Formats: sequence, structure tokens, C-alpha cells
Amino acid sequence: MNGHGAVTRILFEAFTAAEVRLFYAIGYAAIAVFCYGCYVQIRKYRRGASLALGGTVGARLGAMAAAVLSHRTIDRRDPAAGGAHRLIFYGFTLLFIGTATITLQVDVLEPLFGIRFWYGDFYLVFSLVLDIAGIALIAGLLFMMVRRGWLKPPKLDYARPDRLPGDPDFNRPQYRREDWAFLWILVVIGCTGYLLEGARLVWLAGRPQVWDTRWWSPVGAGLAAALRAGGMSADAAGALRHGLWWFHGLVALMLIALIPFTKVKHIFTAAGSLYVRDPLAAQRLPRIPETQLLPGVAKITDLTWKQLLNLDACTKCGRCHEACPARAVGAPLSPRDVILSLREFANAALQYGSLPEAVHLDVHGKAPGQVAMETLWSCRTCMACVEICPVAVEHVPIIVQMRRKLVEDGAMDPLLQKTLQTIHKTGNSFGESKRKRGAWTKALPFAVKDARKEPVDVLWFVGDYASFDPRNQRVSQTLASLLREAGVDFGILYDGESNAGNDVRRVGEEGLYEHLANANIAAMSAASFKSVVTTDPHSFNTIRNEYPDFGAKLEIEHYTTLLLRLFAAGKFLVTNPLKLRVTFHDPCHLGRFNKGYDAPRELLALLGCELVEMGRCKANSFCCGAGGGRIWTPDPVGSEKPAQNRIKEAAAIPGLEVYVVSCPKDLTMFEDALKTTGNEGRFVVKELIELIREAIPVTRREEVSV
Amino acid sequence: MKILVAVKQVAALDEDFEIRADGRDVEPDCLIRDLNEWDDFSLEEAVKIKEAAGGGIEVVVVSVGPDEADESLRRCLAKGADRAVRIWEDAVEGSDPIAIARILAAAARREAPNFLFAGVQSSDQSFAATGIATAGLLGWPHAAVVAKLDFTPGARTAALRRELEGGLLQEVEIELPAVLTIQAGINTPRYASLRSIKQAAAKPIEVLGLADLRLTAADVGESGSLSRVRRMYVPEKGRAVLLEGTPAEQAGQLAAIIREFKGEAA
Repeated sequence: MNGHGAVTRILFEAFTAAEVRLFYAIGYAAIAVFCYGCYVQIRKYRRGASLALGGTVGARLGAMAAAVLSHRTIDRRDPAAGGAHRLIFYGFTLLFIGTATITLQVDVLEPLFGIRFWYGDFYLVFSLVLDIAGIALIAGLLFMMVRRGWLKPPKLDYARPDRLPGDPDFNRPQYRREDWAFLWILVVIGCTGYLLEGARLVWLAGRPQVWDTRWWSPVGAGLAAALRAGGMSADAAGALRHGLWWFHGLVALMLIALIPFTKVKHIFTAAGSLYVRDPLAAQRLPRIPETQLLPGVAKITDLTWKQLLNLDACTKCGRCHEACPARAVGAPLSPRDVILSLREFANAALQYGSLPEAVHLDVHGKAPGQVAMETLWSCRTCMACVEICPVAVEHVPIIVQMRRKLVEDGAMDPLLQKTLQTIHKTGNSFGESKRKRGAWTKALPFAVKDARKEPVDVLWFVGDYASFDPRNQRVSQTLASLLREAGVDFGILYDGESNAGNDVRRVGEEGLYEHLANANIAAMSAASFKSVVTTDPHSFNTIRNEYPDFGAKLEIEHYTTLLLRLFAAGKFLVTNPLKLRVTFHDPCHLGRFNKGYDAPRELLALLGCELVEMGRCKANSFCCGAGGGRIWTPDPVGSEKPAQNRIKEAAAIPGLEVYVVSCPKDLTMFEDALKTTGNEGRFVVKELIELIREAIPVTRREEVSV
Repeated sequence: MKILVAVKQVAALDEDFEIRADGRDVEPDCLIRDLNEWDDFSLEEAVKIKEAAGGGIEVVVVSVGPDEADESLRRCLAKGADRAVRIWEDAVEGSDPIAIARILAAAARREAPNFLFAGVQSSDQSFAATGIATAGLLGWPHAAVVAKLDFTPGARTAALRRELEGGLLQEVEIELPAVLTIQAGINTPRYASLRSIKQAAAKPIEVLGLADLRLTAADVGESGSLSRVRRMYVPEKGRAVLLEGTPAEQAGQLAAIIREFKGEAA
């Protein structure tokens, strides 16, 4: 670098004063358009309902920065796209910082304070870094073009499962045009930047300071060599540089002006959405504010400003579309399309100076931008969409809040309506008498303590399925025996217990949920216990994450962690190691919702089972289809059920012997699916509790137990 | 215009129920209470007329029952009734359908509605008499088992369809004021969300005694009834036998049972 101390790039070299003024005028105009666009977008968000964010600014910024800088969320389940986006992101960011650096010196520091730094060694390193950044940008963009144009992953097909071919918003070709325009504009900006650099080098080849340091811009230098080899003269290169300069500058300014009006805005909206992310969005649904007269989301303006921002953050990456169990079995629901529909609606209704009349704000229906009730009722609230979204879109709370409105109108399947009334009347979804809730204990050779009458260490919240379903009752009886053998002091609430309400809340019947939660909290506060355990991941979730909003902060765990501790404490001894080839199905509410991935697997290892994972496991576990109240609504005849889809996945494991579940609803759903897919006899569905019993055979003393 | 809808909180048997000590009814603790299924339809029919008119129609629900019936009345209020009236005094206990009708007729005179809707029957007692008896006491025209109703608010008559035995339908024109007993299935009753039921708790339920209706204890209860329940019981269960063995053995056993049933010697 020595000897080139004064090297720099003379800005606007060979430009007339009028040209420079014109460029500045266009630049300011572009920034003005950008600012106006931002104003319009922010005004749109502010038309949403109010919401106070929890957590601290610092923690939010930290989480956002970590997600954006690491690209962790974009890498997931699509590392190639994540890598390419990382190249584009870092390339673009560096190039932007580069341009901003020049502006900082030329328009701020030099005119105001006389400070110059953009020359000499700094300039040369700057040139090299930006050249590399440009390569990264263009390489990333080219991969994305190959991906869209040739690889064509199904998740990028915008055809909607909730519309028919021929509907005006069936596959939205305007989205594809926008995607390609965005890619091409960035490619053109990148390529013309290099060409411009090369042309400038040819033009100024006679200036040693420029020419001798040209390899600090390797791509530009290479292009310069090519231009000269092609016989380009310095004058011609000067003219080419002048023209390209304008073209490159205008396209770049146009892009800036367009940011708030196109998908480019995800630069800001995705980061903003990550900033406002609620890590418990699906686990802990929002209560209805006391001030709100009508429950749920009826109008677009009933969405909170945060939800409206979520809509704009979506980049149509299709990860949720791919993960959705309803979509996978052909139900008229794609979480992506719910978000995009509402976004189209919000953009049509809320981007103008005044709001349309209330009647034009109704988001329920079949018109473009509206969401049909069939779509909303297809959702299993399994959280697969929320969990995988790289930009923290929270689909499930939006869907449930829209359902609250449907419930208020009674717009639901008659069977579901009947079930809700039954739950209200009897406290359980089986329509059984309250008094029979503890009847499953009668088959045991010992009495299960009534936690309402005597203090216990562990309160077992049994839940509906484990209490009333005959198949699950056997599992409950087995667990009761195991707990007794391990010396656990436990009891149940008998008819003091009601349905925990997790699924009632996810149906959208918030009033009934409040009723159930308050009833259970009252029953539990009248009992004396140290902690709560349950076999039901649904009850586990709502008691753990949602009851605190109703004043009950309870220590609750799923039975898998309790049993694992009992094993560690030596309370159980595996005397009959099971040499079984098994696979494990992560229940949504235990796994994705509450990150309980490890305990069941550790238990299976202790039992001596060989665990073969399914492709979709842990965070990517595939819902059995029972969530969100769907267990109370019949699936359409003739179409595949999510549980069948899942059993087929398991059936592909060679030599599989047991499909292990750890959720009462799973047992019901998958035993059914095993039969209906014709896999009966090939392998069996078992509760983990049953395998534990097999590995720890009953000693003679307890032989009478189940 | 006003529509009065008579509703009843009915009882259903809980698991392991017991008969009351006097043997004339089920132990109250063994009953699960709910709004009578037919009344859900008659209320819906009234609310539909009110909503279609867009205003000017009041729907009033009336029930004869103790304070626990308020729960059912609140559900009616949640589903769109404007007011609720509950009539009770301990003397009402033991009333037969005619005595109940006497109370409802007095309530109808007080409210002076254009229509009185009632369910065809109640699911617990199944008399199917109360609505029609009320019409008789009022001297109003009536139609039972109404499966379809066409009524334009303000009109002096209504057209309705009744379901008769053997698949016959009967179209009837009726003059107002009239009593209609509404058949289940005439409409799709709406869902009352728990939230709307809670909000309906803010609406008052007017509680009336016999004196408010110019009735005396002699008009109601057992003293006002010409019929009374003598006994309520569960009949002895019939026998069921699971036949086991080979098909031939099962057939042999079945033949023996048939012969025994016909009184032939084994």
C-alpha cells in the first residue's frame, strides 16, 4: 500500500455541476418516497388494536440481533436457502455500509468538520471488502434464482389449498413476478456495480495511482482486463462508466424508494417481527381484554399492531406451509395463506388516508383477502407453523382469535357445539357424570388418595382421556401402580377435577375456558400438595403456561420427567430389558410446546429399547390431528387423516415393533390410524408407561395390581 | 309486538340415581338440570322473528320453577331473549301440567303477547300438554307440533306447517294472539357462548309470586291439580344371555330358549 497514500475515488468525477445537483435531487426524492412509504406502513400498523409488549427492550433487541446475525431461523430445515440468504444478507449489508460510509464522509464529516478518511489504506481495504461482498451477494442471488427457476421446492408453489383453480387469488402470479423482479433488480445492481468499476479502471488506466492499485478491486480489475482485451479505449470506457453510473445509481435509488411498498420491506418488518416475538405465543394464548365488548377478531383492525406487523414480515418462504399437518392431508388450510390473505386485506383496507366503513373490514368470508371458516376450523393449533417461522410470525393466536368470533356466532360444526355444551354441563368431553371421573381407580387393589381430603406430595391431574377412555384408563391404572411401587405419595381430585381447558381454549371458547380454569384452580387451591404431575400434555401445557394468568402458579411436570427422576433415584430397576425396535412420537404439547424432547427418549434408553427416529421428530414432530379441538370434530370422509399420514411414516421404518406415545389422545388417534392404514399386526402403538411396566415386571407382592 | 316463550328447566338422570324416600320422584341430588331441548327451538324461532324484523319485537322468556331455573333463563337471555320472568312459590311444587298452564296463562294475561311459544313437550315428563292447556285457559287459538312458521311482523295471521302421522303435512293459518307448540328441528338453535351467558347475568330476571298473577295457593300444586304422581320406579330389567360355544351349540341353546319361551317342554 505504500506509495498510494492519496489513493481514493473522486466522486462525481467528470460530472457537470448540474448533473450532481440532479443526482442529489433524485436521491432526496427517493428518500422522501421511502419515508412516506414507512409512514404509510406505520400508520397501517397503528390502526391495529393496542398491545403492550412484555419483556425488556434489551432482551428483545438481543434476541432479534442473534436471530438476524446468525441466520439460525432461516437455516432451519433449508440450510441451502439459509446459506444463500446469509450471502445475500451480509453482502447487501456490507455494500450498504460501504455506501453509507461514503455518504458519511462526503455529505457530513468533510463539509461540517473537514474530516477525511476515505483514502489511502482505508480506501484500498474498503474496495477489497466491498468487492468480496458483491461476490457474496451475486452468488447468493444466483442460487436463489436456480432454486426458484429449476429446483422449484414445492413450498414455493403459491397455489392455495383453500381456493380452487380459477379463483382470482388461487395462485397469485403477481407474487412470482415480484419475487423475480426483486432478484433481478439486486443482480442488476450488483453486476452493473462491477462493470462500472471495470469501466472506470479502463477509463483511468493512465493514472498510476488508480491502475497500480486496481487489484484491490479484483472483480473490477478482471473486468477491466477483459474490456481492454476486447479493445475498449479509455474514452469509450469513460462514456460507458458515465452511463452505467447513472443506470446503477438510479436503479439503486429506485430500490430504496420501493422498499416500503414491496417485499423488500421484509428487511425491516422481519427484524421488527423478531423484535416483538413472544416465545410463548402458541403456548399461552391471550386473554380477552376486559374493555373488549365482542370477543375475538372480526375486523382487520381487531388484530393488534404486532399482528399486522407479523403479516408484513412474511416472506412466503413456505416453511409453515410445509410443516402444517392440515395442509399435508389436503385440508383447506395453509398457515402461509392465512397470513398472506390477511396481509392482502390489510394492505387494501388500511393503507389509505381514511379507513373504509366497518362492513368492509370484516375478515371472515370467502372473498379475496378473507379467511373462510372451513380454513380456521381445519387448524390443529399444533404450533408447527409458529415454531418454524424464521421471522416470528405467530399464526396460532391469530387463528384462535378469529375462531373466538366464530364461536360467538355459533359458526362451528354441530358436533363441536354439542361437545362444548357437554363440557360445560359435565366438566368433561365424554358427557360422563362428574362422579365417574375417579371410577378408573376402582380396579386398583389399593385406594388412590383423594387430594381434597388429605395432603399429598404429588397431585396427579388426570385429564379427560386418561379418566374416561377405557383404553387410557388401563394406562392410568398402570401409572398409579408404578407410582405406588416407587413410594410416591400421590392423590387425585376425583370429581373436583374438570377438563383442563387447553383444547377448549384453542377451539376459541374463551368463556368456557375461563370457567374450567377457574373451577380447577379453585379445586387445586383447596387441596394440599407440593407439585402437580399429569400424563396429558394438553393439561400440562395449559396448567403450566396459562393458569398463571388466572392466578395459579403451580409446579407441574409431565410424568416422563417424574419417572426419569424416580429411575435416577433407584426407585425402579429394569429386570426385563426390552430389546424392542421402537420409534417415538413427540406429542405437540409436550415437545414443541414445552421442549420435553429428552425425558421420553432417556426413559426408552433405560428400558433397553432401540430408538429409531422418524424423519419428522422433536420440533418437527407431525401432529396426530387431535389438537385444537379437532378430536371433537369428525375429519372429512375419504381424505387422509394426519394420524394416518404419521403411521405411514412410522411404517417405513424396517423392523419397527412399537410406536411409542406419551399422550392419551395420541394413544386413541394412533391405535385407530394403525387399523385404518392396515398396519395392524405389523407393529403396535403403546404408551411409554406400558413399556415401563413391561420392563419392570410386577413383583409377587403387587401381582394383584393391574 | 311481543313473543312470550315458555321454557322449562328439565332434569336428566345422573349416574347411579336414587328414588326419593316417598317413592314419587328421583332424589333431586341425582339429577342434572338443563334447558328443555324443545324450548331451545321455540326460543330460536322467536329470536329469528325478532332479528328478521330488525326491531320493534320483544322476546320474553317465562319459566315456572325454583331459583336454579335461572341458569336456563340466563342461557335464553344469552341467546337473544330481551327479558326473563320466573314464577315460583313453594306451593307450586306438585303441580300437574294443567296447574302449570294456569300459571302460564296468568303470566300471558299480564304480559299480553301476540304469540306464546312453547316446546311440544318436556324431555323429563313428556306430558306434551302444558302449551295446549295454556291456550285452552286463555281461550286462544293454538297449533301443536309446528314444524315450520311463516310470519310477517304486524300481520294478523300466521301460516304454519304441522307434521302429522304417516308423513302427512298440514298447512294451517292461525289468527293472533295464538299459542304454538314448536317441534324440535324447526330451526338450528344458536350456540350461546359462555361469555354471552356471563354477560346475560347482568340482565335482571323478574321473579313473580302467585299473588303477582292474581293466583292463590289453591290454584296450583297438588290442590290445583286433578292428577298426581303415585309412584316412580325402575322396572325389573329383562334377562340377557350371551350364548357361547360352537355355532351348532349356540343354535341348540337358542332353540331351547325359544321352546321355553313358547311354553313347550324342554
